[in-house]
Amino acid sequence: MTFSFIQVGLICLCYIAILFSIAYCTEKGLIAQRLVYHPVTYIFSLGIFASAWAYYGVIELAGRFGYGALAYYIGTGALFLFAPATLKPLMELAKRFQINSTADLLTFRYHSHAVGGIVTLCMLMAMAPLIALQIQAVADTIHILTRNNGTSITMPNTTFDTRKLLALMYCAMVAGFAMMFGSNREHHKGLITSMAFESLVKVFGLCAIGLFAIFEVFSGFGGLEQWLAENPDNLARLNPEGSNGSSHTLLLVFIATAVSMPHIFHMTVVENPIKNVTKTISWAFPLFLLVMALPIFPLLWAGIKLGGQFPTEYYPLAIPIVSGSNTFTIISFVAGLSAATGAIVAISLAVATMILNHWILPATPLRTHNEIYGQLIWMRRVLIAVVILSGYGFYLTLGNNFNLSALALTSFIATLQFLPGVIAVVHWSRGDRNGLLAGLFVGVTIWFIGLLLPMLLGLHELEVPLLGITFNAGVEHWSSITLWSLGLNIVVFVATSLLTKQSDDEKYSAELCAEDELSHPIRMALDIRSPEEFIERLIDRIGESTARTEVDRALEKLGLNASERRPYALRRLRDEVEANLSGLMGISMATEIMDNQVPYRVPGIDGVADINLMESRINEYRDHLTGLAAELNNLRLYHRRTLEELPMAVCSVGKDMEVLMWNSAMEHLTGISSESVTGSRLADILEPWGELLDRFANSSAPHFYKQEVELAGRTHWISLHQSTIPSSNVHESDGQVILLEDVTELQILEKELMHSERLASVGRLAAGVAHEIGNPVTGIACLAQNMKYETEDAELLDSVTQILSQTDRVSRIVHSLVNFSHSGEQKDTGLQVVGLFECAQEAVDLIRLQKEKGLVSFSNEVEPNLKAWGDNQRIIQVFVNLLSNARDACTEGGHILVEGSRRGNWARIAVSDDGPGIPEDIQERIFEPFFTTKDPGEGTGLGLAMVYSIVEEHKGLLDIISPVDKVLQKGTKFVIKLPIPLESDATTGNTKHRL
Amino acid sequence: MKRQRPLLLLLLLIYIFSPTLFGWITNPDGGWYRPYVIWLLVIVIAYFSQQRDTEEHEEPSKQ
Repeated sequence: MTFSFIQVGLICLCYIAILFSIAYCTEKGLIAQRLVYHPVTYIFSLGIFASAWAYYGVIELAGRFGYGALAYYIGTGALFLFAPATLKPLMELAKRFQINSTADLLTFRYHSHAVGGIVTLCMLMAMAPLIALQIQAVADTIHILTRNNGTSITMPNTTFDTRKLLALMYCAMVAGFAMMFGSNREHHKGLITSMAFESLVKVFGLCAIGLFAIFEVFSGFGGLEQWLAENPDNLARLNPEGSNGSSHTLLLVFIATAVSMPHIFHMTVVENPIKNVTKTISWAFPLFLLVMALPIFPLLWAGIKLGGQFPTEYYPLAIPIVSGSNTFTIISFVAGLSAATGAIVAISLAVATMILNHWILPATPLRTHNEIYGQLIWMRRVLIAVVILSGYGFYLTLGNNFNLSALALTSFIATLQFLPGVIAVVHWSRGDRNGLLAGLFVGVTIWFIGLLLPMLLGLHELEVPLLGITFNAGVEHWSSITLWSLGLNIVVFVATSLLTKQSDDEKYSAELCAEDELSHPIRMALDIRSPEEFIERLIDRIGESTARTEVDRALEKLGLNASERRPYALRRLRDEVEANLSGLMGISMATEIMDNQVPYRVPGIDGVADINLMESRINEYRDHLTGLAAELNNLRLYHRRTLEELPMAVCSVGKDMEVLMWNSAMEHLTGISSESVTGSRLADILEPWGELLDRFANSSAPHFYKQEVELAGRTHWISLHQSTIPSSNVHESDGQVILLEDVTELQILEKELMHSERLASVGRLAAGVAHEIGNPVTGIACLAQNMKYETEDAELLDSVTQILSQTDRVSRIVHSLVNFSHSGEQKDTGLQVVGLFECAQEAVDLIRLQKEKGLVSFSNEVEPNLKAWGDNQRIIQVFVNLLSNARDACTEGGHILVEGSRRGNWARIAVSDDGPGIPEDIQERIFEPFFTTKDPGEGTGLGLAMVYSIVEEHKGLLDIISPVDKVLQKGTKFVIKLPIPLESDATTGNTKHRL
Repeated sequence: MKRQRPLLLLLLLIYIFSPTLFGWITNPDGGWYRPYVIWLLVIVIAYFSQQRDTEEHEEPSKQ
């Protein structure tokens, strides 16, 4: 049956409509995410590798080279089989630096905009035959379907007929599809899904036609075996004489496809939506290729058996036509159409992006007052159309003079020229841009003269006289041209690289790309202090809204906030913004914009290694480390953890005063987390630490002792110690390590000790004074006593009694003073049973002595026989401190009440006043040493602390009730509970102590 | 580089044995599908080695 042009056109239209709807449904989320992000979808989308040539052309190749044709699949399959070693480094690079294309990759690695431009030019030339191939395959198959014979299709065809018109319409539809779904920079989910669908259609179609050929033409596998046995020359042709060399060259040509073909690179390396898919593709993609390769020979043999005038390459379509199956004819046509469409879309996208990024953007400034995303999308759309139409133009120029294999080989051999440069990206950091450009020039020139020129001239063979020697050019000599072009390319690349010197920038990029770089990433300096400054700087080039969006996107990705000031974080932000911009407009533009607007300065101090960057990179690559490197990493982790968990606060700073390490004890002491401080300058750290640490790090003193620091309203004393970290370079240092020691407790103890010393000396003085006063008073009392017996005068006797009473009072006061001065001396002598009433009374007497303090009345209502275990002097001290505090709190005429009673096994004593009470917020802190609300010089802040510690020593309990009077909100009551002596204790006590 | 050492060794072995191996694979006396069978075998080996690799990597994280 012959199809009409309209029918074929409708089939094409239906197919493209299905593609549109799949892409549209995916973008709108109508297709399950599980399916869209499934590794199988990604593997199938990689199937665009098998273009129309893999569907048709490879049959012709199989006819010529037998098993050699499998090189197309085995070469690429092998590359994917070893993907963890071959492709993964490139994938990681692409992810890290937002590399979008081969041109981006080479521009980044060789740090040159010229490289990008030249690579784009070469790539455009290389891709023209491949796009033309797809268009030719579609046009020819349309022609076969509509003419139902193969007589005219291999004939040169220069007239513009219906099939060329249909081909043009097809190109327009494909261009429309690519423009709609491929121009956005977000993950082209829709595009990937529809590409996967295309591969599915293609592989299904090829397998269906293969099975059709076996069962319809050969009547099953048995028939095929029988036919082969009857026609042994077909088996012999699988391994044709002298084809070994060609087969190996084919293998060489195809092994490079995944990394040098722009659209395969784009799909493999850039559009890699699933993490860790490398492992899966390493076996799944070769499996896909195996399935694609399986029907090749049965199709070839079926075609041979059926005979006819069809060219070998169109056997997949010819077989169902000759067998008279319309269904299989349409299946085969759609599968071929699918293969061509996928390839055109992917190639045009990849090449359009390259042209935009490496030609258009560097040459034309963007209008920054407008939103640039829209501008970029439109530019890309126009370029996609231009690329597809150029391919169509190329197809028209060739006028069907060459078969699909010739076109494919021309294209593949051109992209092979990028292989040395791409391999050197990861594996040879010595390779430089001069070498790359020289090698590429030699290789591409040989290819141009040897293959493209004869093709443009319409010649299959051409003799080129050069320097008196005649060289054979033309696609017939593709094998020798491949070897010569690639061989000389490599030789020139290596030789030039070795002879010329890399610039510092190029060296830096090369080291970034090298997988196991041994370099120290230098900590570059930025003259920017905040993300807002980034936006201000970028406004000139990309407009405010874009600058803000990009900076915000980078901040979000890095988990930083807009007030970030740490140099380390700002450096990371700069790199992230650059990576984002490179995703948007290519690495060459991004580098240019960032280098001009936010340049890095080489730090004034040499050799400042970016330890943080190094560490984060080692962490990223931790899983890849093996052997010695893994052991060294374990050692590093051990030392890091040791430092991290050191129970001393430690931080280290680089020579430029950037914090490199901040351990957990430091976090605990300062309350500043390591994440927020690492990478910032010492002076920028929150007060009070920033100023203190900066002053210390900049001083030459190895120690700062007891620096007063106010932390949460409390004074702390910190001692600082520092030491220089020696560098591997003698006479130089790598920075300092600073150790902080919180000596607050020690300081308090020291002060307490000094205070006790002072009190003790006052006590000794008081004892001495008391003793000195005691003697004359005793004399006075004796004389008064004598006088009492020597006179009968009532008036005199009354005076004597008064004298005796007053001297008695003086004696009691002196006695109290002497007793108090013994405070603290009985610490180690153990506890004894003390009478709490007496203690309270003595304290009251002592307090009353201070007449200058206002008039306050005391009443001692402690039960007279209430006893407790304790140290007499220290219990008195407790009362003295509490009473004196209570008196200070009371106003003139206030009343202080001391109560005491027995509660079970406790003696409960309460000292209450009617002062204003203690505010609730400071109640928890009044027992802290040195906490006082009194005026300076009035109180030491030790009174209640001492009470607390004495009660603790007595295993008692201390409580505070304030306000006592809930209505008037006044009064404070200190309640002390002390253990009381039991009968048994008393007995024991009697044997040891006297009451 | 360490990871690529076995790869280099493999390439060397393939280079040494490739003539014999290719001769055997493409021998017309064997089935025409022999290269496909070998190919499938390689894929199966790759699959199992990947599985083992994945398990080895997952185990430490489970601890």
